[in-house]
Amino acid sequence: MLYDLRRAIPQVKWLITCLLATFGLAYLFGSLMVALYAGFTPARVAATYAGPAMTMPMPPETTVTVERPMQMEEFAQPEVHAVDTDLLVQDTHVHVPMYGLLAAALSLIVLGLPLSRGAGMGLVTLLFSAPWLDFAGMWLTKFASPHFAIVTLAGGYAMGIAYLVVSVLAVHRMWFSRSGGTP
Amino acid sequence: MNGMLRVAAATLLLHITPVVVLIKRPAAVQALLPGANAYFQRDLHLSDRDAHRLHEVVDWSPENDVLTFYLGRTGTTDVGSLEFVRVDTPHGPIEVAVGFTTAGAIRDVLVTKATVEMKPWIQEAVGAGLLRSYAGLQASQAPAGAAAVTGKTGALATYVAAEVDKGVQRALTAYSLFYRSGATRS
Repeated sequence: MLYDLRRAIPQVKWLITCLLATFGLAYLFGSLMVALYAGFTPARVAATYAGPAMTMPMPPETTVTVERPMQMEEFAQPEVHAVDTDLLVQDTHVHVPMYGLLAAALSLIVLGLPLSRGAGMGLVTLLFSAPWLDFAGMWLTKFASPHFAIVTLAGGYAMGIAYLVVSVLAVHRMWFSRSGGTP
Repeated sequence: MNGMLRVAAATLLLHITPVVVLIKRPAAVQALLPGANAYFQRDLHLSDRDAHRLHEVVDWSPENDVLTFYLGRTGTTDVGSLEFVRVDTPHGPIEVAVGFTTAGAIRDVLVTKATVEMKPWIQEAVGAGLLRSYAGLQASQAPAGAAAVTGKTGALATYVAAEVDKGVQRALTAYSLFYRSGATRS
């Protein structure tokens, strides 16, 4: 093993515990933000990234005006938080590097766990594939089919599951593993 | 290692904060279409030619190439119209509501949404008179909100005022090209 969390000095164990707790807080509020702005169902995610159904499938040859009466109450209806292409470009640009750093930090913790090569590789793959799935789903939902919203949901859940697995294994290895004393 | 730390710092600095509603839409509609008791939604589905024209003039394309105006009437008398325009900035989106009189001048402008990060900058710019600078603006005039608050606010409030200028310019151009003058026929 490159290194073993069980044999780490207490300061390192405490650092990793604090890091995991901080990530946990960030993920918790991240999921609350998703609930507020996009939702956890394929339909809501599709509405966020695919946008409203086009009333005109092709651009008209001449500009067309459509007018309808509306009530003041309609202005008060909750708006669907829509992410258009420009905003998605921006979101991808700023989120993907951060997700990469989070995955890298958690992967470094995985290296200190007594996992088989396959399990370790699988966990690292899961950590990095989660943001890929998340953003691939958003782009596919926008440009291929709203059905790809499920890919974004899979990415989000993969992110949460990978974090939980790493946290549980690391905390167990550092603080509850037998003969887990300091070197 | 130093490079990695710089990337991490830049990523943290560029992280976009959530959008908050500064003024709810019904309140914005009542403020920008005063006295109206009937409302209409007018969607202009732009042709390729008109969409290209708009993009050439203000470097902007509305979502799905549809411009949406909201009209207010009192009985049979027009009160005016308004448009909500979003501006994407490196700090996240802001939304500007631009109200027009029936004569085609800007009645008033409101900033209805901003990110948590930009909210205090917006408030500072508004406190320095940003929105007052737009009243009465005609299509032939350029919004100069940033210039109006320069020296009265910090650099970030001046910066965000320039972004509000962009939104006002987009609304003004869209209004003059397509709402008021009628769309081009191809």
